[in-house]
Amino acid sequence: MNAEPGFIRRLVAKPWLWAYVAAAAVWLVTILFTGGRGGGEVLTAAFTFATFSVIVGIGQLYVVTLGPGNVDLSIPATITLAGAVATKVMDTQDGLILVGLIVALACGVAVGCFNYALIIILRIPPIIATLSSSFLIQSTAIAYGRGIRIKPPAALADFTTAQVLGMPVLALCVIALAAVMEIVLRRTVYGRWVTAIGQNMRAARLAGVNVGRTRFTAYVMSAVFAGLCGYLLSGFSGGSSLSMGEEYLLTSIALVVIGGSSVAGGYSNVPGLWGAALFLFLVVTMLNTYGFGAGLRYLSTGLIIIAVIVAASARKATR
Amino acid sequence: MTRLAGSISMLAVMTVLGMGSALADTADKKIALSNNYAGNSWRQAMLRSWDKVTKPAVTAGIVAAADPFTTAENQVTEQAAQIQNLVLQGYNAIVLNAASPDALNGAVKEACDAGVIVVSFDGIVTEPCAWRIAVDFKQMGKDEVLYLKDKLPKGGNILEIRGLAGVFVDDAISKGIHEAVAENPQFKIVGSVHGDWDQAKAQAAVAGILPSLPNDIVGVVTQGGDGYGAAQAFKAAGRTTPIIIMGNRQDELAWWKEQKDANGYETMSASIAPGVSTLAFWVAQQILDGKDVPKDLTVPFLRVDQATLDKSLETTEKGGVANVEYSAEDAQKVVDAAKK
Repeated sequence: MNAEPGFIRRLVAKPWLWAYVAAAAVWLVTILFTGGRGGGEVLTAAFTFATFSVIVGIGQLYVVTLGPGNVDLSIPATITLAGAVATKVMDTQDGLILVGLIVALACGVAVGCFNYALIIILRIPPIIATLSSSFLIQSTAIAYGRGIRIKPPAALADFTTAQVLGMPVLALCVIALAAVMEIVLRRTVYGRWVTAIGQNMRAARLAGVNVGRTRFTAYVMSAVFAGLCGYLLSGFSGGSSLSMGEEYLLTSIALVVIGGSSVAGGYSNVPGLWGAALFLFLVVTMLNTYGFGAGLRYLSTGLIIIAVIVAASARKATR
Repeated sequence: MTRLAGSISMLAVMTVLGMGSALADTADKKIALSNNYAGNSWRQAMLRSWDKVTKPAVTAGIVAAADPFTTAENQVTEQAAQIQNLVLQGYNAIVLNAASPDALNGAVKEACDAGVIVVSFDGIVTEPCAWRIAVDFKQMGKDEVLYLKDKLPKGGNILEIRGLAGVFVDDAISKGIHEAVAENPQFKIVGSVHGDWDQAKAQAAVAGILPSLPNDIVGVVTQGGDGYGAAQAFKAAGRTTPIIIMGNRQDELAWWKEQKDANGYETMSASIAPGVSTLAFWVAQQILDGKDVPKDLTVPFLRVDQATLDKSLETTEKGGVANVEYSAEDAQKVVDAAKK
């Protein structure tokens, strides 16, 4: 990403490097089992599924960057709601794809505004606010969709599953999206404000940062990305389901942490999300490939994740 | 406090029993459904079946009330508290789909001591005072392999998709599958992943392990709710679709029908019908009516075959699960079968 001189030295100093190193190592161990066979296909699958977690990971990252206590727990419910509403509105017709996208994003905007209203007007801590709103959203999704799986329009299904030379098209789009969001975080006034608030909210306010609006935007953005994820995911997996968002709660937070961002906020990077997402998928694949039992698998997943986080933070300390 | 409340409701129950015994009737009895989870299509269908059967029963005056209650967080502590509340509210019987087979035993025992009938189904409890309507999940796993043996006498490599790790249903089905494979060594389980009974998770897990598996997978044994995801993963990997055992979900059946019409694809599908909640309702009603009902009942699972596919798909609503609702006579049959 940085083509300037001293590239290697700069690279090694990056906090997100470890997620990529870990992902590569896990991939190598996996294809060691098969003697090199299927290595490319494993990567294709990893990119395919990492895409969805990166989308929600970006939103979560912006929220977490805002500082201690900021986290969005309503992501899974928003994914489910947006998926259910969008597939129902599109009703398998190709012509309504754009309408479906707009509706899914609108769900996100509504959820984001609601979350922030709870936080700021009712002065509820973000964790509690987003947790309780997630119950309301999930109930809405259940009442609205009744668990009915409506097939996505064929064109949307084709787009979300399309590949170019073994690389999912959607993954390429989300890599571009991540690059844009990294630039927004590093180079725009808004991104610097988010970081400043996370480092010291009081100092940021005194420096003239519009704290309220910046936080509001971050929460809405997180919900909008969750809506986008729900829309794409329902296209990819052949319809929405009530449990489709479930796994993205812990995943979105884990991506932020494993990606080398500070969970206490103020120090974040977007590239790490991709490394972490690939890593998480590949770990499960590796343990499945070696045929470990469920207990051992959870245990090793936990240990590997701890190891990566420790490595990443040790890196930072000796920098 | 609880003991006091217990004895009060005990008294209440005894009074009610005293009045009702002459009539041998359940018109003044209240039945509650305690349910631990509602977040998937199976549970939604289960709750709808409950409404469909119990509302007319209440209107017809067979029982006084049949109210469903679902906990929000799928947690044992929450459901234990819910059971205690139901006892305090004076329900005569609790029909229970439990979050855990043993962790609710304390609350169930308290309910029994307070004179409340507890009938557990699907997610059953081990507490001896409760009735259990169980599915022979192990047999279901065995049947899957036996079906494959029938279709593929030569055997081959199979992929196993398991459910949610740590849940006894997952262990039971998997045990049945592994036992049947041990008896039929022409089959070999080359990979095993956890799909958590969820299409999206199954799809991700299968997509991850497929590249490392041999090309000649002849069958996929599943636990229900994961077949469609597995089919999607095979398609995305550009592999020929093996015989994927389905789990009665509408999307699975619809996919099967599509394949059947296109290329004569054959498989089978089995799962426990969500309407089993209504069977539990009738069993509870019969117990309240003073009938002698054995504590352990077995409900047959609902199986869909090539011949019955079209009809099952027609009667299964979009997004639902192939279902049957049970009548009081069905319950009687199940009870009679258990007495033999």
